[in-house]
Amino acid sequence: MKHSISIFWRNRESHYRIKITKCNVCGKLAYFGRDRCPHCGSRDVTVIESEGKGTLVNFTVSYYRREGDEEHLPRIIGLVKLDEGITVPGEIVDIDPSEVKEGIRVEAVLRRYSSDDPYGLIYYGLKFIPILKK
Amino acid sequence: MSKAFISAVCMTKIGRHFKLGIKNLIHEVTACMEEKIGSRPDYLIVASTFSALQTHQLDVASIATQYLGWSNIPSIRVETGETSGIAALELAQYIVRSGAASKVLVIGVEKMTEYPSNKVNADYAKILDYDTEYVRNITPPSYAALVMKEYMRKYGATRDDIAEWPVKMHANAVNNPYAQLRFPVSKEAVSNAMVISEPITLLDAFPIGDGAAAVLVTNESARSKDALEIVATAAATAPPLYLREDITELPATKAAWASLKRKLDACKLSEVALQVHDSYSIYGILALEAVGISEKGKACQVIPNLEYLNVGGGLKARGHPVGATGLYQVAETYELMLEGFAGKQYGGEYALIHSMSGSDYNARLALLRRW
Repeated sequence: MKHSISIFWRNRESHYRIKITKCNVCGKLAYFGRDRCPHCGSRDVTVIESEGKGTLVNFTVSYYRREGDEEHLPRIIGLVKLDEGITVPGEIVDIDPSEVKEGIRVEAVLRRYSSDDPYGLIYYGLKFIPILKK
Repeated sequence: MSKAFISAVCMTKIGRHFKLGIKNLIHEVTACMEEKIGSRPDYLIVASTFSALQTHQLDVASIATQYLGWSNIPSIRVETGETSGIAALELAQYIVRSGAASKVLVIGVEKMTEYPSNKVNADYAKILDYDTEYVRNITPPSYAALVMKEYMRKYGATRDDIAEWPVKMHANAVNNPYAQLRFPVSKEAVSNAMVISEPITLLDAFPIGDGAAAVLVTNESARSKDALEIVATAAATAPPLYLREDITELPATKAAWASLKRKLDACKLSEVALQVHDSYSIYGILALEAVGISEKGKACQVIPNLEYLNVGGGLKARGHPVGATGLYQVAETYELMLEGFAGKQYGGEYALIHSMSGSDYNARLALLRRW
């Protein structure tokens, strides 16, 4: 599917790194870098960066067809509790849908979100993969 | 503050109307309304969520006014995602109460079949945050699936418990002449249907269809003999799903309900005619819990006993032409209380209508009373 190049470029930091907004008033954390705290509305915030590791707490295997998306189905969409304590939504890859389960450790990696095939841009961003035991 | 009333309603059958464009659907419900009221309204509100994305039409309210031949009537389009219909009702009653107009025609209209379903699905996903959810391939049914899984885990509900919802909705829709899916389903059929986003199946999800519904909101002097009073409306918004402590709660619905419930006198809520938003089965169940019809985790058990719950079949089986849906809810309720609808007549005093967008990103309620 087509995205606006300028929108994607403007948001590149939050596509390539997991940013967390820390509120200096209410003390709460929130996913992605923001100008304001979504919990209390305060403008006194600090944006920090996550280590990108966490635990999968919930997931669904989705067959929902969106235009331009069909060849990538099914997708595993999950909620990941980051080690910093907040929950973020994202896609889980590099694991068979029949093997994914809640509680596995995951980490963020750069992958393709979508592309304007056959001649267009390719949009990259973060997805989660299982952390392999050494 | 002056009162506002629902004085007349009209609906079209929901379906895949390939021969009808958005203007034709607007004309159909308007012609029906003209037959009922015999005069022009003095304000037109059009609720349409997808008119810009699916029919390439901005300012659909002005285009509708031109098409209807109603020069000089002010018009406005309302869009608040899936709650657009009730948002339009909310605006209409404020206009009437302010004295700016005495007869406001509210039309909800949606053309959902101009493109294949995968394009509609992509546009529908834009009710979520485009920058942070849509581009990461997150969709409304995926979120609903996460909520359903969490609910089943937290409260021990089974797949068959959740299937109470679509079974009842389809049974209700059989008697609704305007419904899109007029056939009964079994719990087994729900479980075995094609998976959309597991555990959600096709029979947990609303169908894609076109439709239009119209509601005439008037002040007291323009009120028809058969009218319902709009006692109050309430609306609220909620944080995105991933910021919530408990994703089985509907925070916007709860906040809107908190501001409305003191107006419901002392009558028992389970005896009120109810219309709740059920784009996916789990949301209908959570809506019952959010307004206190049942304790948390127990709504599946009360579904069969609620005689006046989504009498037209809900979004699930009546259908969900998105911007029009809230006005179908109102129109069905009007007929149920004043004329009889889908084989039922409700003799009680109050009706509560609930609408929400996505995973309760915004919620809107309307409390109606027999006048």
